[in-house]
Amino acid sequence: MKKTQIGKLTSRRSMLAGLAGSLVLAAGPAASVHAQEGLGTADNPVEVRIMANEAFANTWQTLLVPEFNKAYPNVRVVFDGVPYTELLAKMMLDATSPNPEYDVLLVDDPWVPQLAEIGALVDLKGEKVAALTGDDYDWDDFNAAPLAAGEWQGVQYAVPVRSNMLLRFYNRTLYEEAGLPEPTPEQTWDEFFADAEKLVRDADGDGKDDRWAIDTYFVREPLTPTIWQSILNANGGSLLDESGSPAFANETGVKSLETHKRLLDYAPPGALGHGFSESLQAFRQGLVANMFNWGSVYKSTAVDPKSTTLTVDEVGIQVLPVGDVQAGAHRGIWIAGVSSKTEELEASWAFLEWLTSKEGESINASLVGSFPARKSTLNGEPAEPWLGPVYETLQQAYDVAAKGKMWRIRSPKSDAAQQILADEIARGLAGQASAEEALDTAAGKIEKALK
Amino acid sequence: MTSEKAQAGPNAAPRRRRRIGDLFVRWSFMAPSIVLLIALLAYPIFYTIDISFSRFDIATFGAGEWVGWENYREVMSDYRFWDSLEVTLIYLVIALPLQVVLGFGIAFLINAEWKGRGLVRALFIIPMVVAPVVAGGMWRMILDPLWGIMNYWLGFIGIGPLDWFGDPTLAMASIIIIDTWRWTPFIVLIATAALLALPKDVFEAARIDGANWWSTLWSVAVPLLVPVIAATFVIRWLGAVKMFDIVLAATYGGPGKATNVVNLFIYEEAFRSLRFAESAAMAVIVLILTMVLTGLFLRGSRKLEELF
Repeated sequence: MKKTQIGKLTSRRSMLAGLAGSLVLAAGPAASVHAQEGLGTADNPVEVRIMANEAFANTWQTLLVPEFNKAYPNVRVVFDGVPYTELLAKMMLDATSPNPEYDVLLVDDPWVPQLAEIGALVDLKGEKVAALTGDDYDWDDFNAAPLAAGEWQGVQYAVPVRSNMLLRFYNRTLYEEAGLPEPTPEQTWDEFFADAEKLVRDADGDGKDDRWAIDTYFVREPLTPTIWQSILNANGGSLLDESGSPAFANETGVKSLETHKRLLDYAPPGALGHGFSESLQAFRQGLVANMFNWGSVYKSTAVDPKSTTLTVDEVGIQVLPVGDVQAGAHRGIWIAGVSSKTEELEASWAFLEWLTSKEGESINASLVGSFPARKSTLNGEPAEPWLGPVYETLQQAYDVAAKGKMWRIRSPKSDAAQQILADEIARGLAGQASAEEALDTAAGKIEKALK
Repeated sequence: MTSEKAQAGPNAAPRRRRRIGDLFVRWSFMAPSIVLLIALLAYPIFYTIDISFSRFDIATFGAGEWVGWENYREVMSDYRFWDSLEVTLIYLVIALPLQVVLGFGIAFLINAEWKGRGLVRALFIIPMVVAPVVAGGMWRMILDPLWGIMNYWLGFIGIGPLDWFGDPTLAMASIIIIDTWRWTPFIVLIATAALLALPKDVFEAARIDGANWWSTLWSVAVPLLVPVIAATFVIRWLGAVKMFDIVLAATYGGPGKATNVVNLFIYEEAFRSLRFAESAAMAVIVLILTMVLTGLFLRGSRKLEELF
């Protein structure tokens, strides 16, 4: 939020803007100077500070910012990485201060309502930003599901910059060794469990099972309920009804939680303590035949030999098994918005506009491996051959998610609701409460929390 | 009388000046500490108390409308808060006595003259300097049922495989093991210093009287050490009641709610659920409980000192 050159540029800019307002006809040159300064000059570059998840802040700083600077050499972009668990609280704290440090906030899927409620973000389709947006910026090219992550109550506060979906990874070799055909996106849960029986086996003949059917989130943490929820949505259930009250404490919810719990019967020992990292590790080592995890890990799971024992030919990717109504998936989009208190609106939006343009998205996908949200990028020529089937699955997952509303609760209290779900789903999975009891408790608490 | 007054008169003023000067010097030495204490301790506590009686205003990130006891009622009716207190109590009841007994036992053993004692003492300090989050993560790897070395070793003696993080009882045992590994050396250090400070003549007298190793320990060393043991217990209690980071790194409070200690629960409610007001109410309740129990332990410790 600070200019690199400490001066009175802001007041100068305000003065110029005022001049432009009162002397419309004479505003041409003044406005051009203003635009120049809004995007910095060689002598006076502007700085845009971005608060982001530390998991990818450094990579973006190193790989994406230099690409952006080829188009905008006078905008200095600085990423500050914050651990995920502290990110929202720090963002809220910064956004509510009179002089926030950050111009751009890179937020997780369910956080937009919370930030919108405190007025932290600019309306990206509003007059101010629209005036700065290029004519070739195609909003309609975004898939509905990822774009909706940045929307709240009819206002577009953020744009998708790192799309992700909960997907099913499977190991073709383990299916083959178990004498099973490769699963298809049409596979139902019943068929999945029938295969699972055969996928748990003793591969080295020492009398102990050393290959398992599945690993995913079972640990007590906020992302574990996304597995249950994707099963719930696939079975036709939903978290909330039209009036915004919990609608999952019913037969469909219970059946879905029991399905999630049943996965433990075919998971490696200790899986109740497994989450993102542990399931990833087990899958990459070829110990489990299936993994439900975020699609963005495909590269490190199937392509990069430094992090995996598997190859692209071995790793299949598709949506989660079909429930009573449709296949499963779950949306997890990182979206970025501009701080409503920024003094560098033009430069901030210039970065986001570039990053989410067709060109920027392609660069982001090929250099960093981020998944795109635009239909044109997904349907276009992928930068790497392995991205072809991944993009195909991603497009399918977007459609499935949009149809089944497969995302976390959209509310300013979404994190409180998610934590309640994490507690209760964990109790249900650990057998400390029946599925019915856990979901009834969660529904009661969430109803209260959302009020 | 008059002459006494006259005599006192000329001395009284300088004495008062000296006293005021003395007071000024004393307070000026204390002032930085008082300012620091107010800024770093009193202010956060009063801020927490203020929030606990208010609706938290997310727009200003501070206390909003006064709601009286509402947050406290909300917290008291949340079964998760009571469960987390119960989990904390289980951990404290098992971990504290275990660590004190182990710490003093090990100190007594390594206090005897034997070769390599110095090296063992030095090695004992290592766990203390490992950050709790690192300790939690490291032990998570050691105890992992799939990749960990612990189950591999236990397999040689026919035990296991044990699901350290999937079984609620074993998960609590894991937390206690990690915490004990980390903190027992601290108690060993205190106990070693205490043993070295014990009067030698009493032990010599016991030896001359024919006391064996066990009698010397039970009838001489332990009674002399009771005040130190009590003080160590209080110090360790103050550290253990803050248990948070090891659980966060090792079990995330699971499986289910098996290791969800109260500090982790408060942290999650505040920084993940953004329920700052309710979390502040919980923090105040825990603060009061801790103060009351610490007071009781200190009193008990003084009684023991008097007794022995």
